[in-house]
Amino acid sequence: MCGRKARTAARLYARLYRTPVPHVRTAARAVIPPRGVAPRGPRTSGDVMKPSAQPRRTTVKTLVASALCASLALAAGCAKSEDDGGGRKSSGKGGDSGQVVASPGAGGQQTCSVEEFGGEKLDLKGATVGFSQSEKEANPFRIAETASIKDEADKRGLKLLTANAQSQFSKQISDVQALIAKGADVLVIAPLNSDGWGPVLRTAKARKIPIVTIDRKINAKACEDYVSFIGSDFVEQGKRAADRMIEATGGKGEIAILLGTPGNNVTTERTKGFKDRIAEKAPKLKVVFEQTGEFAREKGQSVTEQLIQSKPGITGIYAENDEMGLGAVNALKGAGKKPGAVKIVTIDGTRNAVQGIVDGWIDGVIESNPRFGPLAFQTLDAFTKGEKVAQDIVIKDSAYTEKNAEADLGKAY
Amino acid sequence: MTELSLRGAELDKTRMVRLLQDYGVYAGVVVLFLVNVVVTPNFVSAENFRTQAVQVAPVLIVALGMALAIGSEGVDLSVGSVMALSTSLISLYLGYGPWIAILVAVLGGMLVGLANGSLIAFVGVQPIVATLALMVAGRGLALVLLPQLKDIRDPGMAALGSGGVLGIPYLALIAAALAVAVAFVVRRTTFGRRLLAIGDSRPAAQLAGLPVRRVLIGAYVLSGALAALAGVLATARLTASDPTSLGTLMELSAITAVVVGGTPLSGGRVRIGGTVAGAVLIQLLTATLIKHDLPPSWTQIAQAVVIVAAVYAARERGKR
Repeated sequence: MCGRKARTAARLYARLYRTPVPHVRTAARAVIPPRGVAPRGPRTSGDVMKPSAQPRRTTVKTLVASALCASLALAAGCAKSEDDGGGRKSSGKGGDSGQVVASPGAGGQQTCSVEEFGGEKLDLKGATVGFSQSEKEANPFRIAETASIKDEADKRGLKLLTANAQSQFSKQISDVQALIAKGADVLVIAPLNSDGWGPVLRTAKARKIPIVTIDRKINAKACEDYVSFIGSDFVEQGKRAADRMIEATGGKGEIAILLGTPGNNVTTERTKGFKDRIAEKAPKLKVVFEQTGEFAREKGQSVTEQLIQSKPGITGIYAENDEMGLGAVNALKGAGKKPGAVKIVTIDGTRNAVQGIVDGWIDGVIESNPRFGPLAFQTLDAFTKGEKVAQDIVIKDSAYTEKNAEADLGKAY
Repeated sequence: MTELSLRGAELDKTRMVRLLQDYGVYAGVVVLFLVNVVVTPNFVSAENFRTQAVQVAPVLIVALGMALAIGSEGVDLSVGSVMALSTSLISLYLGYGPWIAILVAVLGGMLVGLANGSLIAFVGVQPIVATLALMVAGRGLALVLLPQLKDIRDPGMAALGSGGVLGIPYLALIAAALAVAVAFVVRRTTFGRRLLAIGDSRPAAQLAGLPVRRVLIGAYVLSGALAALAGVLATARLTASDPTSLGTLMELSAITAVVVGGTPLSGGRVRIGGTVAGAVLIQLLTATLIKHDLPPSWTQIAQAVVIVAAVYAARERGKR
C-alpha cells in the first residue's frame, strides 16, 4: 500500500523534474547520511536526496523561536491603536454609584439572619472577603461587575481576594475552595452554573462562612447553604423590553427576536417575558422571526442581514443583548436603511448601545445592572451585624430612551 | 485528474458514482439555489446575492488555507484563533493607518503558521495536536492583546467591509481572487505538486528527495496568512475588533467546506473548486433555514446531514 504510493510519488516527482526515478531502496539508504557529514556547499542538480542536516535544523529552530519572541515583543511594544490618548474612561467608575433594591426587604419576603443561618456575628471591617468571578472580564458586564466589587471593597477598606474561573466550572470550584483556604471570612460568588456546588457549600458551611451569590442563582437552600441571591429578574427585563417595543412601534406590525445563546437561562427568561407581555398587551404585534445571534455582534449582524432581505417590511427588532442589537444596527446601515426605520430594543445598557440611542438607531435599552458591589457589601454588613436580610434581592434596573440617553450616557457601562 | 485519464475504460455505473462524488457538491448548490428561487421570497435580488457573497467570503478564505493543510495530510485547527489574533492586531496597529495594520495582522497569522509548521515539520508533532496547541495559545494571546471588543472607526476599514466595485463587494472580489490564486498554486506550481506528493505519502516524498519540511511549513504559513486575512475582512465588515467571539468554531466550518467539497482528509488531493462550492453550499443552507425562520437546531442537523453525505461519498472513493 505504502510502497505503491511511494512509487507514485516518486514518479510524479520525476515527471516534474525530468530526473531519473531513484530506486526507493537505494534512496532510503542514501537519505540517511552519517551524522555530522552535513554537506554545506551549494547544492547541485543531482542532489535529489536532500539530507536533513542536523546543525542547520537547530539554526532554523532557533530562528523560529527568536522570530516568535521578537514578534511578541513587537506586538506589545510599538502598538499604536486608533484612539491612543483620548480614550474613554474606564467602565465601572461611571456616574452611577450602585444599585437600588427593587423589591424592598423584609416585607412579607423570606429573610435570613445570622441565628437562622447558624453562623457567628463578625465585624465586616477587618474581615477578608473572597470574590469568585465566573467569566473572564472580556465583556463590559463582567468588567463593570468586577470593578464594582473591587471599588466597594476599597471604599470600605476591606481585604479582598479575587479569582476568575475563565468560564470553566471546575476552575471555579477550586477557586472558591482556594479562597476559603486562604482565609476568606465571607464569600461573594458570581456562579458560572447553578448546579454542582455541593462540595463547596459543605466546606463553607463547616466553617460557617456566609455566601452571597450575584447575577446567577445557585440551586441550593437559601439561608442554609447560602445567605442571599442578588440579581436581576430576566423575565421582568423581557417584559419591560416588550413595553418599550409596543411604545416604539405603536403596538402593531411584524417584529423579529434575536435570541441569545440557546439553552441559556438568560435567553429563555428574556424571551418568555417579552412574548408573554406582547401576547397580553399588543396582540397585533406579531413575532415573525426568531433566530439566535448567540449574544455576539457578528452573529447578530449576519442574521439581521438575512432577515431584512427575506422580510423587508419588518417594523422592529428585539435583541436580547446590546451586542446583537449593535450588529443589527450594522446590518441596517449596510442595507441603506435610515435611523429609526426599524425600531430596535435591546437589553444590557452598555455605553455603545446607549450611544446608539443618541445617534437615533436604537429606540430603547433596558438596563441589566452589573454594579453589585455596594448592594452585596451592604447585605453582608447587615447580615454579619445580626440584622435580617432578604433571601432574594432583586435589583432595580433602569432604562434608556431618547429622553434620557444623552444625559445618562455616563451611567452606562 | 490523472486517475480519470488512466482508468478511462470502466463500467458506466462506477463512472456515474464517480461523477456524483466529484460533482455532487456542485449539484447540491444548484438544487438548493433553484429551491430558494422558488420558495424564498425576495431571493432573486442583487442585494441578497451581495449579502450571501459577503457572508461566505471569510469562511471561504479560511477554507482555502484549510484545504492546503488537509492536502498535506494535516489539518489546521488554529485558524479561528488566528482570526481573533488578527482582529486584535488590527485594532492595536490601526494608529499607523489601515495598510500597516493589515500587514501586521497578516504577519501575525504567518507567524502562527510558522509555529504550526515548525512543530509539525521539525518537532514531529501530529498536525491535529500542534495546531490545537496554537488554537488555545492564539486565542489567549489575542485576548491578552485586546481584552474586549473595541470599535473601529477608520473609514478605510469601513470601506473595505461594505464598499465594492460595480456593485460587487470587495470581500467577494478578494475571496474570488484568492480562490483563483490558491487553485493556481495547487495545480501549476512546484510547491503545489510537492504539497500533494507529501500529502499522498510523506515517507515517499522524503525518499524522493522533496524538501518536505520547507513545503509543510509553507503550507501552514499560507493557511495562517489566509486565516489572518479572513480575520481582517471580518473585522472590516463588523467595524469592530471582537477577539472573544470572532472566529469561534471557524475551524469546523472550514473543515466542513473542504470535506463537503470532496477533498479527502487522507491528503494528496485538493479540490479548490469543490471547496468554494462547499462553502457556498453551507452558506446557502444556513441562509435558507434562517430566512424561513426554522429553529437554529435545524441548521445544525442540516449541516450534519450534508457532512455525513459528503463523508459517505469519500468512503466510496476510498474503496476503489
